[in-house]
Amino acid sequence: MRKGPEVVTSSEGEVFDVELEVDILKENRRLADENARRLQSKGIQTIDVMGSVGSGKTSLIKEMVSRLKHSYRIAVIEGDVTTTIDADMIASEGIPTVQVNTGKECHLDANLIRKALDITPLDKLDLIFIENVGNLICPAEFPLGSDERLVVISVTEGPYMVVKHPMMFLDAQVVAINKIDLANAMGVDPNNLSADVSRLNPKASTIHTSCRTGAGIDEVIHSLQLKRPA
Amino acid sequence: MHELSIATSLVEALLEIAKKQAATKVLAVELRVGKLRLISLDQLRFSYEVLSKGTLLEGSRLTIEETPGFTRCPNCGFTKEFETGDASFHFALPTMKCPKCATDLKIEGGDECVITKVRMAIPSRPSEPRVRVGPM
Repeated sequence: MRKGPEVVTSSEGEVFDVELEVDILKENRRLADENARRLQSKGIQTIDVMGSVGSGKTSLIKEMVSRLKHSYRIAVIEGDVTTTIDADMIASEGIPTVQVNTGKECHLDANLIRKALDITPLDKLDLIFIENVGNLICPAEFPLGSDERLVVISVTEGPYMVVKHPMMFLDAQVVAINKIDLANAMGVDPNNLSADVSRLNPKASTIHTSCRTGAGIDEVIHSLQLKRPA
Repeated sequence: MHELSIATSLVEALLEIAKKQAATKVLAVELRVGKLRLISLDQLRFSYEVLSKGTLLEGSRLTIEETPGFTRCPNCGFTKEFETGDASFHFALPTMKCPKCATDLKIEGGDECVITKVRMAIPSRPSEPRVRVGPM
């Protein structure tokens, strides 16, 4: 960097340097904390579901909703760039859904969730699933105010999904490795994906799931500290 | 492309800082961005340039200092810099377990994204001098 003179006078006035420490991502975090407080005050548990496009986020949420809807009052907030396909699929379970279309953005942010919560019947809920936009990069940068982060990947995405997107897994409490019924056809060993996750984030629970066969769904529910009806 | 939303927050924060100081023009901005943030600096610069057009940020110079990522072991104090220097960074990301005592490591640096300095033109001399212009 070039060393400048002590004081410079420009046509617009005198030039000053202001040294400061302004966190650019703070505003999102502040709104996320606000969301978290709002949800906690209503006694609502919230789970942010993240994962790449087509990993099976919606199917996994649908499976969990179908198992939990008799013991929890559930709503799902669906984030997508456009369309209500996912929200319609979840709504077939007979629970309230809120579609958030991000338009051009590749992720949900805390402000979008704040707006979605405004139109969600919070007084009548115990549990909210937030399905993030399918993307393994951007959502990692934008906390929403959820209690848990569930990351869904699938064997059909190949063997390197975890090592290629490490940041997404660092803050996850639960990682579902989905579509294990297709593992043989894909020639992908789900155990290697689990090993990658536990190397990166030893605290995360890693569960092999298949929404077709129902494998692992109860374990995901258990790991999210939700209880199935007896 | 979340750089666009980060650049939007950056522009909003800068306009607020400029307003507080009653500045008429922002000439230069310094940022500190950790290497563990998933921020492409080229995209951030481009988004900033586009968004600053027509505001008093237009034409300002954006300097970005990158800070390395660090992990530290809360038990034995072992520290290691994240190897983020080359394209194979993702594969070189170390395990989050301490290699010495197997305790879970904590990320200690490299995840910030902050404005550290703003150079502005201010028409009327402030009653209290702000930090005077030094190297930038």
